Amino acid sequence: MKDNNNGDDKTGFSRRQMLSFSLAAGVAAGTGVASEANSEPSPSDTKVPELEIGKLDEIKPGAVVEFDYPDDDSPAILLRLNGPAEGGVGPDQSIVAFSRLCTHKGCPLDWNAEQKMLICPCHWSSFDPALKGRMIIGQASQGLPQITLRISEGNIRAVGVEGLIYGRYTNIL
Amino acid sequence: MTSRPLPPRNAKRFHTACQFCIVGCGYRVFKWPEGSEGGPAPGDNALNLDFRQQQPALGTWIAPAMQTVVTDRDGTRQNIVIIPDKSCQVNSGLESVRGGSLASTLYRPDGPTRMRLSTPGIKNGATLELAAWNDATDLAARVIKAVIDRWGADAVGMKFFDHGGGGGGFENNWAVGRFFFEAVKTTSCSIHNRPAYNSEVHAAGDAGIAPLTNAYIDAQLADTILVVGANPYETQTNYFLNHMVKNLNGETMSLKKSIFSDEEIAPGRMIIIDPRRTMSVAAAEAAAGAQNVLHLQIEPGTDIWVLNAIARIIIDRRWHDVGFITGFTETQTFNAYQRSSLMRDRPADEVINEAAGKAGVPAELLKKAADWIARPKAGRARRRTLLHYEKGLIWGLKNYENVAAIVDLGLLTGNIGKPGTGISRLGGHQEGYVRPPSRGGRPARNIDEKLRRGEIKLFWVGGCNPVLTTLDAATIGRTLEERGQLVTEALTTSIDLPVEQRVIAIVETLKAGGVFTIAQDIYPTKTTERAHLVLPAAGWGEANLTSINGERRLRLHQKFMDPPGEALPDWQIIAHVAQRLNALYTADRNPEMANRFLDFDWRDEEAVFIDARYSFKGGPDDAMEGYAGIDYDLLRKLGTNGIQTPVRLVRGTPVGTERLYEDKRFSTKSGKAKFIPAPPPWPGYAAPVMRQRKKYAFWINNGRSNHLWQTVYHHRYLKFYRERVPIPYVEMHPADAAKLNIEPGDIVEIINDRGSVQAMAYPTGAVKPDHCFLVFGQPRGPAGNLVSDHVDPDTTIPWYKGVWADIRRIGPMPELTRTVTFKPQNIAQ
Repeated sequence: MKDNNNGDDKTGFSRRQMLSFSLAAGVAAGTGVASEANSEPSPSDTKVPELEIGKLDEIKPGAVVEFDYPDDDSPAILLRLNGPAEGGVGPDQSIVAFSRLCTHKGCPLDWNAEQKMLICPCHWSSFDPALKGRMIIGQASQGLPQITLRISEGNIRAVGVEGLIYGRYTNIL
Repeated sequence: MTSRPLPPRNAKRFHTACQFCIVGCGYRVFKWPEGSEGGPAPGDNALNLDFRQQQPALGTWIAPAMQTVVTDRDGTRQNIVIIPDKSCQVNSGLESVRGGSLASTLYRPDGPTRMRLSTPGIKNGATLELAAWNDATDLAARVIKAVIDRWGADAVGMKFFDHGGGGGGFENNWAVGRFFFEAVKTTSCSIHNRPAYNSEVHAAGDAGIAPLTNAYIDAQLADTILVVGANPYETQTNYFLNHMVKNLNGETMSLKKSIFSDEEIAPGRMIIIDPRRTMSVAAAEAAAGAQNVLHLQIEPGTDIWVLNAIARIIIDRRWHDVGFITGFTETQTFNAYQRSSLMRDRPADEVINEAAGKAGVPAELLKKAADWIARPKAGRARRRTLLHYEKGLIWGLKNYENVAAIVDLGLLTGNIGKPGTGISRLGGHQEGYVRPPSRGGRPARNIDEKLRRGEIKLFWVGGCNPVLTTLDAATIGRTLEERGQLVTEALTTSIDLPVEQRVIAIVETLKAGGVFTIAQDIYPTKTTERAHLVLPAAGWGEANLTSINGERRLRLHQKFMDPPGEALPDWQIIAHVAQRLNALYTADRNPEMANRFLDFDWRDEEAVFIDARYSFKGGPDDAMEGYAGIDYDLLRKLGTNGIQTPVRLVRGTPVGTERLYEDKRFSTKSGKAKFIPAPPPWPGYAAPVMRQRKKYAFWINNGRSNHLWQTVYHHRYLKFYRERVPIPYVEMHPADAAKLNIEPGDIVEIINDRGSVQAMAYPTGAVKPDHCFLVFGQPRGPAGNLVSDHVDPDTTIPWYKGVWADIRRIGPMPELTRTVTFKPQNIAQ
């Protein structure tokens, strides 16, 4: 559909609108994104173990694999989505993994295959696995910790955690 | 960073209630010097928990957003941890998405909240020049005095917070009321979210019913909870999760059995009247089973039809509470109600079918609602129904009759003053209203109009942002800009002159149509941008304040850190200006005026509280207020559970009130409640709204959403929230989006005869075709720009949600779809 404004580039934005959003970006930059008060631990911060989760050729589209990581008290879930996902690995970067503990009150999340979202059965917080586990709606104050994955010799391996897992002051207890 | 710091055993401890919504969840605060921390062993941390182990589900966890580092005025850096309090009956250790990040909202000069206002500023050209408090308050006082002396007190206009929680509280409210009502004596007053100084629920007041009647435990005990025009999962979260849901899923059956031993009991049911299928509907269905939730997805402005049709069904089936009506309501009002609101002279089927048709809801569902609200239980026991309402009704088609309709329904069924019942607002902010009587009369004057007409020469805005939130907001913004420009020029060209001469120059511009604007706030806003004098206020946690929540639970929100820079509590700013006015009038040899500004010399915030306390006894005219015997020491001891108002002294001991009207004495002269009959059965659409409705394709409902608090004054600086709603979203039906070639995340322009707003499209089946929902209060797209200037002539309350507009696609914005999810926000399982 042709835009009914004066847009003259492929994005459909007019010069005025581009300026408007550039200003917005400026505001965001001025608010200290880089020095966010509550930065989350990065994978390199902690010496997390490596764990083999499964063989790449066995993880078909729609696959769901439950595993524990970085230790037995920390349930996690691996998903192969239908398309690319932020932080994804494998074909189309579609394989992602997250802590399964809700970052609100720690209840284990359920996978809703129809909506492709992880939902908490306790207070119904929901998270989008295609967008780094960002919260869709709910009562947590952070997204889901994403498990960093690496493919090595046809195996999918968990190699780190981005974000603090529920119920812990540090990811490695 | 390999770990989050744990509070050590010797951390300082405070208790508080959340700064955000009416629910007022209890929180614990720990404070200790940066560089030290507690250990993970139970004996080594202030929580006495073993953090060497994984904490269990529903346990205690210090999420990253619950910890920050602040800098006090002595320069010391202090860790702060704020976690929900398990011992608080309100939230039992639950946090909401907003309360969970209370620590993140605290001022830190090296973090995202460094944008806080910290020093007074005086406009000079396009910038604000920093000013000393003495100079700022002197200028404010001199201009106020000049305006009063030349044009009279009514030329001083104000728009201020009137609520509790952050940015409000009894102390600040009392100081504001004393100043404007008793000292300045202006009638040009308005409340933070509306164009006048008025109740939002005059009809409830006229009926003799206070706004907040029930206790939260009543939501655990009710047979049926009726929610009209509210979305409690998102906006009264832990009242919904910790009380309503426990009833819906049967968790409170044993509690019900213990209290209602001789009554039929069952898990609760819920009726939600809302044009959208919200997350509250989905979550209620998940908790109770879909068969126990009734969602009436009505057309805009049809609440009166729906509520009165339900009442008509109830009375025709003789399910009304005859004993209550006969004993405790004024008979003639009941007769008038039957005639006019319920149209008993017309056949029932005709009335009910007409209501169903207008509302777009099958008549059978109205009958089902009547059944759930009032059909007697086994053994003829009356059904216990808790009736709740909020902005969908209050800011609806006609404020007075809308509120009357739900209050009448509650009275008809006797659902007040008993366990499991109540007729109450769900609420927005916490409350904390203690002020001397306002002087505006009723219906209250529309201050926005007075400002536009030039009658207000000085406009003092405190703790609110009308340029973003009032009706026809763009016009108010332009008014402040255009009228303010004259004053700005005077300030800029007189910068080298003594203050007396600067004020003379300012007054000359006021004569020529200018307005001098004072903005008192914690952050820069679209209103402070247009102000000539900006006064930095202290925020939550930076001064002691008291508030009540939605069940009138009074708590002390303790001070645990210093305000940024030179910022002061609102009450103290007001006091300083009042003291300066006293000195100026004394110097002017005008003792009468000088005396009006006496007694603003409170020692501290507790002195303000005690001053206010003496004025409120909890009598028939102020059923929710009454603070006998309360002081800060007692509130410190009572912690996060506080005490429910009104509080009376019984043999020297303060005793609270769990629920109102258990004695069936209502807040009227007769002591009997009054039905409020609606003059015509339905008032129809006002002309400005009708013009929009005829001209534009979409209804643009608007309101709050889960992640964001009000005008996002904190949340726009916090990444987690900013990423979720970087610009306002507009929900629209997928079929409507398809017709306009709109994809999720596309930027659209919403445009009508008042103005335009840009938003990101959020196609969803939550709204019906032709219906949309726009997040309100977002600085990137003020919904107020689209709202007509129409108000209910009986109450001066706008129909904020009565907006029609067209939508056009502007184009995609890839950076949005990379970070913003557009998955449905109403899925629960």
